[in-house]
Amino acid sequence: MTIGLQVLISGLAAGGVYGLFAAGHTLMYRLTGIVNFAFGDLVGLGIFATLLVLAGTAPVTQAGAHEPRFLGALIVGLVLCVAAGVATYVGIVQPYLSRGSTIGWVAGTAAVAFAIRAVIGATFQRSSYVFPDPLPFHRVGHDGFIRVGGAQVQARAFFVFGLALALALGSAWLLERTRFGRALRAVADDSEGARVVGVPVDLLVALAFGLVGALAMIAAIAAAPGEAVNANTGTLLGLKGLVAALAVRFGPPLRAFAAGLVLGVLEAAIANVHLGSWQLGPSYREVLPIAFVLLLIAVWPSREALEARE
Amino acid sequence: MTAAALARTGTELRRAFAEARSGWSTGAWIAVAVVALAALVPFLSLPGVRTDALANTLYLAVAATGLGLTVGAAGLPSLGQGAFLAVGAFTSALLMAREGWPLEPAALAGGAAAIVAALLSGGVVRLRPAFVAVSTWLLAWLVWLFLLAFPSVSGGSQGLIVPEKNLLGLSATPTVHFEVALGLLVLSAVGIAAVRRGAPGLELSALRQAPPLATSLGVRLGRRRLGAFAASAFLAGLAGGLSVQLSAVADPSAYDPFFSFKLLVAVLLGGAAATLGPAVGIAALGLIGLVADPLARLLQLPLERFDTAVAAILLLFVLALGGAGIVPWLEPWIARLRRPEARARRARAGGLAVGPMGNDAALRAEGLRKAFGGVVALDGLSLELTRGETAALVGPNGSGKTTALRLLSGTERPDAGRVLLGERDLADEPTHERVRLGLARTLQTTVAFPELTALESVLVGRTVRRRHGGAIKAALATPQAREEQRTAEAAGVEALALVGLDGQAETPVPELTSSQRRLVALAGALASEPQVLLVDELAAGAGADELDRLAEIVERIRGSGVAILLVEHNLRLIRLVAGRVIVLDAGRAVAEGSLTEVAESDVVRSSYLGARRL
Repeated sequence: MTIGLQVLISGLAAGGVYGLFAAGHTLMYRLTGIVNFAFGDLVGLGIFATLLVLAGTAPVTQAGAHEPRFLGALIVGLVLCVAAGVATYVGIVQPYLSRGSTIGWVAGTAAVAFAIRAVIGATFQRSSYVFPDPLPFHRVGHDGFIRVGGAQVQARAFFVFGLALALALGSAWLLERTRFGRALRAVADDSEGARVVGVPVDLLVALAFGLVGALAMIAAIAAAPGEAVNANTGTLLGLKGLVAALAVRFGPPLRAFAAGLVLGVLEAAIANVHLGSWQLGPSYREVLPIAFVLLLIAVWPSREALEARE
Repeated sequence: MTAAALARTGTELRRAFAEARSGWSTGAWIAVAVVALAALVPFLSLPGVRTDALANTLYLAVAATGLGLTVGAAGLPSLGQGAFLAVGAFTSALLMAREGWPLEPAALAGGAAAIVAALLSGGVVRLRPAFVAVSTWLLAWLVWLFLLAFPSVSGGSQGLIVPEKNLLGLSATPTVHFEVALGLLVLSAVGIAAVRRGAPGLELSALRQAPPLATSLGVRLGRRRLGAFAASAFLAGLAGGLSVQLSAVADPSAYDPFFSFKLLVAVLLGGAAATLGPAVGIAALGLIGLVADPLARLLQLPLERFDTAVAAILLLFVLALGGAGIVPWLEPWIARLRRPEARARRARAGGLAVGPMGNDAALRAEGLRKAFGGVVALDGLSLELTRGETAALVGPNGSGKTTALRLLSGTERPDAGRVLLGERDLADEPTHERVRLGLARTLQTTVAFPELTALESVLVGRTVRRRHGGAIKAALATPQAREEQRTAEAAGVEALALVGLDGQAETPVPELTSSQRRLVALAGALASEPQVLLVDELAAGAGADELDRLAEIVERIRGSGVAILLVEHNLRLIRLVAGRVIVLDAGRAVAEGSLTEVAESDVVRSSYLGARRL
């Protein structure tokens, strides 16, 4: 029971971040029919840009951040992340999409992913970094941990989950209620039709490519001080978002967010829960969900994924 | 018995030799010379050349050549070739280190393990090619994360130490590995080239250019693509299984997803369209590495990161320049070394057996029903075709004509009702099986295969009549496969002659007019030797002067005993050829009879012209 609660709360926090990545993937897919393999790394770029402004490439202590400086750094990171997302769409995705070249955008976005990883890896050469924490979570409870129903839980987990949920609901509202959101949904339904009635399709999609990165980045940064970060951080988050989005077969963004939550809890459960003497353990945490989704899309694809057949 | 077999083998060998000699050219001499020279490299002890590094590069070239089959021929963007290589490497390394297996069976087991991985994840080949990229991307990460998470398998950060072994009876030194890798590269390149030129290559290419058209002609999409995917995984697994012994240690960090990406870069850099492109791409990457390393040292950048950036940037350049790759750029120069193509030899028409083959093969549909969501597209349609007759299926837009064709040809499954070809119930038969049994269909759209000639397009329709069209026979260019290719070409020319286009056999499809493309599609369906032919909108966009010619063609086909069902809007063509007209409205057959009878009927008048309201 105790461990169950701990798994649930830490899983929801991690899952909230995955969920925003999943929602981003699914939105990009529904807008364009492509999968942005660079998504995780584009967000990683923003995270490390924030870290660079905040603390340089030197090792830092968690308490090293002052709020105004943090805000400035965050804005620099967000702007870079949005700009890189927009540039990826305009420079890599759109040209090949209009030519109907699948190999073009696949290889192009993968190239962007590896290029960003190379740049981050060359700048931040240590195997892992501590992300400075602007919020004084370590003062809450026992050095950042609070007891909930007998379980020791990181106070940050509540914050991360709440923030992710707010961002997800907020952007769902944005999609549902605003002019921008309605235009995006029109593009997702029928981009040619939207173009014909005068919706600036490329501009909107480019913006969306940037904004989904910003959303995911905010959640990732909120969670970042909880664990060590390195060049793989963004990539793996993007990968898990893709796994969650595929599990709901690129369904509506909120459903993808929910899948991300489930994935987070599932990972925590795989790592920690044992039934009697039987336990999977942390080694299985990352590989099992990927393997599951890999088989899932092979044996039970969505109708849309099949559609090239006729 | 034995003597006869020997004599036949002798004849075949002489014939094959003669064919090889007539196809031999300067280019072939150069290729042989290059391979021979390359084989000598380890014995020359050139300064600064390390045989083990060269052998390793050759193994990579084998894996890349395999990837060329997936990316170039099948058009599937795979981001996971390195994962298959890793699967092969670790299977082989574990078998050698823990079980004491010799190198050759261990490497083959590595190849087999890669095939298993390909088959498990390969269901995605049925989907849009984008999903192959997604699946292989996940696979690349899965394999890498697995190796990192399970040190018991991968040997952890030290890697897995592989003991010394023999290879082909010799101690497995870098030199032996080099020669084996070179041999493997030549074999796989020659085999893949033969496959790409043969029937499987044509089918893969058709599937890449227009999947719906290819499958409607009876090409088996899942099987062909999965075959290419698995074959390419096998080559990677085998190369991995061998190369891991060369490097003496299986190190998980060497097989990260970037490794897969680099193989894809090599394929695109060298040119996916050419069989040798990927190997050339690997060589180019190697040369770039030779230049980049000192540069990176000069700039004090960490080497392995630099490598990544160079590969990524290179790829962006290749893609920006149109994405053809090195070998296709060189193609004009290579072409000069070739003998003026034997292509000019015109196959003689003949050997096409259109029409009834003994059994009474009429088509019957009973109570076909299909609903899409809440919309009932077809509501209990029954119809019958007898051989040697032309019937027309007409009706307003949305009346269910195309749905009817799709149910008959097996692209959609009916909710209720059945389709019989002769006595045979087709309920469980997929499209390609129906085409094989003699039920062919042309599509409504003018989709064509833009990279093929008219004759090649027609040959795609020959798929279901091939008995020796498998990849292995094509790779070995067996006598049967070559004989069959000749008869297929003859039949293709005859099918083109039936529609009056035999003069255009070698014309590339993009140079044909749209009505000629329709006729090529019709000839493709004819090449499958149908007994029943379903034709969707043959006269769409045809001018008045063309109608008579179309009518003549339809009559000629009907005359050979084929039962024809035309789905048609053009009433003039119907009047010229159709003995019977079936009128569909809102998913039901509302009238049937000769054109005049049908035109008189009230139901038809109201559904075509609207109820009279004055």
